[in-house]
Amino acid sequence: MRKSPLVAFGAVAALAVVPLLVSNTYVLHMLVMVFLWVLLGQAWNLLGGYTGQVSYGHAAFFGVGAYTSAIMVKSGFSPAAAWWGLLAGGLLAALVGSVLGWICFRLRGPYFSLSILALSEVLRLVAVNWKDLTNGAEGILYIPAFNSKAAYYWIVLALAGVSYLTIRAVMRSKLGFYFLAIREDQDCAESLGIDTTKYKLYSLLISAFFTGVAGAFYMNYMGFIDPGIVFSLSDISIMMILVTMLGGAATMAGPAVGAVLYILMSEAFRVFLKSGHLLFFGILIIVIIIFFPQGIVGTLREKWAGRRLRAANATAPKAGA
Amino acid sequence: MSIRRMTVTMAIAALAAFAAFPALAQGKTFTVGVPLPLTGAEAKFGEMEKQAYEMAVEEINAKGGVKGVKLALDIQDSGGKPDTATAIVEKFIGTNKYPIVVGEYTSQCSYAVAGVAEKYQVPYLVVTGAADKITQQGWKYVYRLNPPASLYNMGVFGFFEKVAKPKSIAILYENTDFGNSTSKAMKEYCDAHGVKVVLSEGYQAGGVDFKPILQKVKSLRPDIVYMVSYLMDASLLMRQSKELDINPQAFIGGGAGHTLPEFLQNAADASELCMSATLWTPQAKYPGAKDFFDNFKKKYGKEPDYHGVEAYAATYVLADVLKRTKSNTPDDLRNALAATDMMTAFGPVKFVSWGQFTNQNRMETLVLQVIKGKFETIWPPEGASAKYVYPVPHWRDRK
Amino acid sequence: MSPQVAGQIELLGQVLISGILLGGLYALIGLGMSLIMGVMKIINLAHGELMMVAMYATYWMFTLAKVDPYVSLVVVCPAMFLLGVAIQKFLITPVMNADSILPQNQVLLTVGIGLVLSNLALLFFSANYRSVPVSYASKTIYWDVKMGGQTISLSFSYPFLVAFAIAVVLGAALFVFLGMTDTGRMIRATSQDKRAASLMGINTQRITYITFGLGAALVGAAGALLDPVYYLYPQIGGPFTSKAFVITVLGGMGNIPGAVLGGLVLGLAESLGSVYISLGYKDAFGFIIFVLVLIFLPKGLLGKGRA
Repeated sequence: MRKSPLVAFGAVAALAVVPLLVSNTYVLHMLVMVFLWVLLGQAWNLLGGYTGQVSYGHAAFFGVGAYTSAIMVKSGFSPAAAWWGLLAGGLLAALVGSVLGWICFRLRGPYFSLSILALSEVLRLVAVNWKDLTNGAEGILYIPAFNSKAAYYWIVLALAGVSYLTIRAVMRSKLGFYFLAIREDQDCAESLGIDTTKYKLYSLLISAFFTGVAGAFYMNYMGFIDPGIVFSLSDISIMMILVTMLGGAATMAGPAVGAVLYILMSEAFRVFLKSGHLLFFGILIIVIIIFFPQGIVGTLREKWAGRRLRAANATAPKAGA
Repeated sequence: MSIRRMTVTMAIAALAAFAAFPALAQGKTFTVGVPLPLTGAEAKFGEMEKQAYEMAVEEINAKGGVKGVKLALDIQDSGGKPDTATAIVEKFIGTNKYPIVVGEYTSQCSYAVAGVAEKYQVPYLVVTGAADKITQQGWKYVYRLNPPASLYNMGVFGFFEKVAKPKSIAILYENTDFGNSTSKAMKEYCDAHGVKVVLSEGYQAGGVDFKPILQKVKSLRPDIVYMVSYLMDASLLMRQSKELDINPQAFIGGGAGHTLPEFLQNAADASELCMSATLWTPQAKYPGAKDFFDNFKKKYGKEPDYHGVEAYAATYVLADVLKRTKSNTPDDLRNALAATDMMTAFGPVKFVSWGQFTNQNRMETLVLQVIKGKFETIWPPEGASAKYVYPVPHWRDRK
Repeated sequence: MSPQVAGQIELLGQVLISGILLGGLYALIGLGMSLIMGVMKIINLAHGELMMVAMYATYWMFTLAKVDPYVSLVVVCPAMFLLGVAIQKFLITPVMNADSILPQNQVLLTVGIGLVLSNLALLFFSANYRSVPVSYASKTIYWDVKMGGQTISLSFSYPFLVAFAIAVVLGAALFVFLGMTDTGRMIRATSQDKRAASLMGINTQRITYITFGLGAALVGAAGALLDPVYYLYPQIGGPFTSKAFVITVLGGMGNIPGAVLGGLVLGLAESLGSVYISLGYKDAFGFIIFVLVLIFLPKGLLGKGRA
């Protein structure tokens, strides 16, 4: 891991020049979506992968971020409100995250997963019904500030980069070890004097913040949101898990690989397979999960590292979730 | 290192993406990009529209195309999701360089696509998306074939004024863009004309049991029960109204779900005498309307409703535009589109601006009623195929 | 009594009747998931899609062979059982046996299975909305009650009544099966402690097959019963999956009477909430009760489920 900052810098620099070489807006659009999903995957990975708190409700934070930014723009704070919205969206999402965390962290395992899912659905219904604030199902339209895709590309690349560096720093700090300890055995962590509720909440706050920023970026970039899009269970919450798991949960590169796979595969399937595309996407998910149970990065790393240790673990039947 | 691997993967993927979309052969074909929901809850409508576009293109090409150029369709599945629709149109405009975009189904998707088209200054012909705001933005490249949602009820209002003269109404609408717009227009009309709105509630699509809210409607005894449903909720609402023996003077739907052929099958006897606003019926006195209906039914083995004919007419509008345009640049196409003044199987098409609306086709909307298990046009009287039944008899008195 | 008061009583009565009858159907949808979650501790996000498959099976039997949906239960349930066993055996078990950092792989797998099922249906059956037009679809039994000089007219939908009755019978049968038979006891043992059960000589692998099969058969029955009162298209499953786990958690995982009670509570919450609070928030009531129960009664309404 020692070489990684240099490599990362090189990679980011290489990625940053892409818009100068590629003028095709569609290719840039796909790359923007890839980095948006890298950002989302990173955010989910911190809470779900590293801290082991599997959330089925991250659309709540995505939606809150998107609506914060949209409402700021629409209420006409200033032309730059959209960009303040990125920060405000993240902060408000973290605030909502602290409330949801306060409620849901009383529960563990699948109960946590389901309760946060339920609350994110409640938020979706609030967004549909609170028409004065959100314009209801009609959604909010905003003509994006830049015509150029390159600007959005750089912004989302920077956001993905910041989230990557932040989460890497967190995972190398004491905080990160607490998170891992909580994932591996919450009771054990508790008995060692770790205030698990507090640290789970920290993890959720960071995760919700980046998810909210992603939501605000999405709003600025796409220019149109409605509750069905940004609070979507199947298209946001589940896909965030999918992206992370496909790439490899609890690995730094996993969400990135997952995002590339998810965006490019689903787009290629959609273009080539017409209305059959979701079928093949479903098959792809099944195949990857069966053959790459740790995600692509995780499984490949395991193969390279030799499987001695893992194999020893795997012989013991795994207790229920 | 994993980052490097990631970069390589991405580069390969980007290359693959490039290779995957070669520019469509120009020359003797003109390709039009059409985003449509072919998967997801609205897939049924997307499929109907796809078939109608294909049928119209076949007909036009069989007659030699437009000025010797054949039409081709590039229909892409948006899944009814605005972000996917946006991505598709980005590709149509950015990669495929299509100079005009046609289609989409839901209001949400049409709205999102319109934003993209306006941004890139490429003309976009809205075919089905009905929310008022789509043509209320002062956009210069967005034209709409179908009337806005607030005008879907014009026929119903005429019927209210001349025949029904209701005193009270209960409004139930699906919580979507279309449902909101249509029900809002109805509510505003009722408030302005002294019709008491006893209840106005939105619902989430897909519920199994509407009986509790319908019972509430029953207890309020409105003259009219007005419902806006996208899909099959329409037939559940009618079936359960019959079960609860709700007896207003009339049940009226706001289009969409209440005009589907499946509505008749699913609601069966409960659909009898239900009215609905509609934009078109096969009995409409427009040239080619009946032919379209018959040919579609023969070709695909199922009946189209007004959504099908919208897509069909849109293709003919496009052919007309191509015939008149000076060149195939977006601006010339837009100018030709703006000058459209023609008759289609869907009705007359001419884009005008009034009030807040710009570039909006304005047409008469109709009212249909299910009579003896068939959709009959009952309003306006000059185009009617059957005499309306009003007030409708109580459920228990029907045999 | 004034007509207004009578009207309000009629409204309340009808709302309660609708809620309870709907709750019966919900219970049946929840039973299957409760069983699966109880034994395997996984959230089956393909649950609604399994119901969709059963709805299509019922539809085709009615359309092609005029088999009444209630009769077709005899075929649909065993067929769904086999489908469930196959899914468990060939897809879920291999994933469960693989070691993974997070236990969520199986859940994602069910997302994939759900996508495949609903899109296969789209491919084969098209996106058309279909329905099973049985003669009794809107048949209703009226019950007029005289009260204080006013007549209160209550109605019971026949297909909902039948569905409710069958749901009760199936729920009771399942309860008896789990309590009285050897296989049932093995399922309960596995649900309580899988490792201990396997040490006691129970073939827990086989038990998971049977459990998933039973879960699929139960939700299949719900699908067949829903056909006469509803409609179907390939994407119909999704919302029912979330209803199913709301019910499961309300009742406590693997708790059969709890799932029935959970279904009734959800049905009533939706009915009462949509009339007396807001129709737009109808779907939220279930979720809110769900979270409240999770927090204050983490073992479910009946307090016997093992978390």
